[in-house]
Amino acid sequence: MAEISFELPDLGEGLVEARVLEWLVSIGDMVTRGEPLVEVETTKSAVELPSPQTGVVVTFHAEEDDLLHVGDTLVTFEVDDEQAGIVGTVPKAEAPERRVRLQLPDD
Amino acid sequence: MTMTADTRPRTPHTETRHLSMQQALNLALEHSLAADDRTLIFGEDVGRVGGVFRVTDGLQQKFGAARVFDTPLAESGIMGMAVGLAMAGWRPVPELQFDGFSYPAMNQVISQMARMNNRSRGTMPMPITLRLPSFGGIRAPELHGESLESLFAHVPGLKVVSPSTPNEAYHLLRQAIADPDPVVFMEPKSRYWQRGDVLLPAPSDTESDAATAEHETTTPVGTSNVVREGKHATLISWGAMVSTCLQVAEYAAEDGVELEVLDLRWLKPIDAAGIQASVSKTRRAIVVHEAPLTAGLGGEVSAIIMERCFDALRAPVERVTGFDVPYPSGALEDAYLPNADRILNAVQKTLEYRRG
Repeated sequence: MAEISFELPDLGEGLVEARVLEWLVSIGDMVTRGEPLVEVETTKSAVELPSPQTGVVVTFHAEEDDLLHVGDTLVTFEVDDEQAGIVGTVPKAEAPERRVRLQLPDD
Repeated sequence: MTMTADTRPRTPHTETRHLSMQQALNLALEHSLAADDRTLIFGEDVGRVGGVFRVTDGLQQKFGAARVFDTPLAESGIMGMAVGLAMAGWRPVPELQFDGFSYPAMNQVISQMARMNNRSRGTMPMPITLRLPSFGGIRAPELHGESLESLFAHVPGLKVVSPSTPNEAYHLLRQAIADPDPVVFMEPKSRYWQRGDVLLPAPSDTESDAATAEHETTTPVGTSNVVREGKHATLISWGAMVSTCLQVAEYAAEDGVELEVLDLRWLKPIDAAGIQASVSKTRRAIVVHEAPLTAGLGGEVSAIIMERCFDALRAPVERVTGFDVPYPSGALEDAYLPNADRILNAVQKTLEYRRG
């Protein structure tokens, strides 16, 4: 198993900080990539951040109502080593289908 | 899926570890960094992140940011720097993150790296190992799943190799790094997570190139590997397709057909004698690769067989390959890559063939 941490991403429009409104997952939850992770509030709006990673949530680095700067560590996941690639998916380790049968020549 | 059985003698070893290919490559890099202070690793995200496939994980922490370092997203710069460092006496092991990202570096690879030794009349060797995560099978986006071996193999001055198992990955990478010439090391992405036994040199030898040098005397650069013996036909392949071929050989055995599987390992220099030895025995051959058919290496292998085994052949050489189209998106990958049925059909064609 490996741990991967993520930082508060750049939320655009030159915003440099955000306040954590509500964690939408709990410590120990298995989350999939893209699932709603946390709601944060900037000076402009409240936004829901999707999870950047599939894995088990092990640490929140901010409590609700804490103010974070872009680049501050937000959350740590525990992931299988095999899920740790960033692009693409791990192929399934299963035997491929076969339909064609062989026949040896007579000689 | 069946793992490759290694039938050739190896350098004496004292430790066997069960590792994924990604871990075996990581260990080979660690040992190569320890064996030679001139070895340098660099590329996009190889330092702090440890590589998108985690192949360089932890190496920057162990060896420092002067020897394992991140570069800007500029493949031409990465390979240009590798050439300059090699000229200055270093042993660079650059990574280009995905095979499809190597196109912007082709000028540095072909016009500089491949030619410098010849151009300088042997005074500027290029002991560079270009690590290139290669081939498809992981549902990645465009330009993340090419199959460029014939492009590189066609360039004089380059050596090209692709491992098929974790054990092969460890030994071939150390051999490539120790080699005095530029080597394009094509890592099959879809096999990064497949596990197998890795036969390691004695601990006293892991931090030197002694075991690799000895390995070179028994299994020199350009040696293929019979990974399964058979008598009715030979499947010839490399990289990720070797385990597909082993699976096909299992299926064929259910029907009483004994297929030999030859892992070429090195695509330049190519083991013509090894191909000859196998096909002279089985008298039928099927070449399997992911790259498109036209001007693919299957044509080269087929020509070698024609030149060396013409009288022994009982059927024309078959080629089972990708199609002459850009590598498709993930959803269509299974339709593009050679699969068990396509290979079995080709085998049956060679079995049925009768001279007209």
